[in-house]
Amino acid sequence: MITIQGLNKWFGDLHVLKGIDLNVKEREVVVIIGASGSGKSTLLRCINFLERAQQGNVFIEGTKIEPRTKVINQLRQEVGMVFQHFNLFPHMTVLQNVLEGPTQVKNISRGEAAKLGAELLKKVGLEDKADSYPAMLSGGQKQRVAIARALAMQPKVMLFDEPTSALDPELVGEVVGVMEELAKEGMTMIVVTHEMWFAREAADRVIYMDEGVIIEEGSPEKIFSNPENERTQQFLSQIL
Amino acid sequence: MTNCAKGVEELNIDLPWDLSAIPEYFFFFKDAALLTLQITTLGIIVGLGIGLMVAFAKISHHKIFNIPASAYIFLIRGTPLLLQLWIIYYGLTAIVTIPRFPSAVMALGIHNGAYIAEIFRGAIQSIDRGQMEAAQSIGMTYPKAMRRIILPQAFKRAVPPLGNQFIIALKDSSLASTIAVHELLLKGRQLGSSLFMYMEMLIIVGLWYLIMTTVLTYGVSVIEKRLQVSDYRSEH
Repeated sequence: MITIQGLNKWFGDLHVLKGIDLNVKEREVVVIIGASGSGKSTLLRCINFLERAQQGNVFIEGTKIEPRTKVINQLRQEVGMVFQHFNLFPHMTVLQNVLEGPTQVKNISRGEAAKLGAELLKKVGLEDKADSYPAMLSGGQKQRVAIARALAMQPKVMLFDEPTSALDPELVGEVVGVMEELAKEGMTMIVVTHEMWFAREAADRVIYMDEGVIIEEGSPEKIFSNPENERTQQFLSQIL
Repeated sequence: MTNCAKGVEELNIDLPWDLSAIPEYFFFFKDAALLTLQITTLGIIVGLGIGLMVAFAKISHHKIFNIPASAYIFLIRGTPLLLQLWIIYYGLTAIVTIPRFPSAVMALGIHNGAYIAEIFRGAIQSIDRGQMEAAQSIGMTYPKAMRRIILPQAFKRAVPPLGNQFIIALKDSSLASTIAVHELLLKGRQLGSSLFMYMEMLIIVGLWYLIMTTVLTYGVSVIEKRLQVSDYRSEH
């Protein structure tokens, strides 16, 4: 579904991604873990070109993504993204947030939009918040709206960039619950997170990154119970 | 209380001015006030147009846009409005003669354009980067994200400083009196000298300005409140 080849990214002199290769299959849930500064968020942001890698290629379903505005805008419609700080549109209601993409980018009809909106809000458990503004919602509710907004474009892949890092601990569960549901439905997902139990429960594959390099990858069982690399062992012993 | 009232009465007797002339002549200034309002309104409209364009030019990464925008702001903010007005009305006569009223509107518009550009630029750049990223992540083009996501939020933030700027523009329109536009200040001076009642007429001018700035301030606060709908945190 997604193939990344030889991705290199520099911020000035800082070499943040050092030749990343990654292949994500359809319906696969890949969780990327690693210390902050390891390049995991940058990798995610390079996939939908919010950051431009200086070297390397991204392929979606075998098609190489040329870094041209038109191609990138098309790609972004097929790759949903959920941000650490939600980034909801504060001047729009929950329903308007969710339908902004379908109505403004895809130009779907009013009837279809109403149906889609109701369906998505039900999915994230926020039917009763349709007409609320983001400022009235809790962090967990905001993030669920953000997930619904990304899903509204009916993407082939969903990218999650530390979706629970800005949440109060008691609100993490409701967001992870929605993500697990998505994983079960067969959505292809790449998730950068510190929630190790999500990685254990839902991931097909866990990737450990450090200093811009993929150090180790494998099934959650293997990574969590039997990591081969010393740095992976060290990292896991610090957080588990 | 009574002491105080007495004091005022005594003061009244001592004043060298005939304050009863204020209500008497107040509405003599209606046309002049209207002219002040026209210069200001048109000047602001021109200023908003220039300001929006220059703000975008200044944000642009292309040098052909951002260098002229910076130069314009540098020149206009660094020189007095009175000089700009005189350059347009007197200075340009060798090339083109622009009548008084349009000269005043142009000067006020060009002058405010520079300040309004900076207000818009600041407001646009104050919007969190994540907003543009979120808009682009659902496939929106840059212009569309600007129009649908960034500008509505930026306008909201620009309202208070814009209101401030409009009040300054209203008062600055009095400089048009120097090129014989019959707005409030000139009217006050002329009537004051012909009636030998400078102070009385200038007080009337001041009252007219106060009324207009008060209405303007109130209008801006109403707009601000209306725009705040999405900020309420009540029914959480």
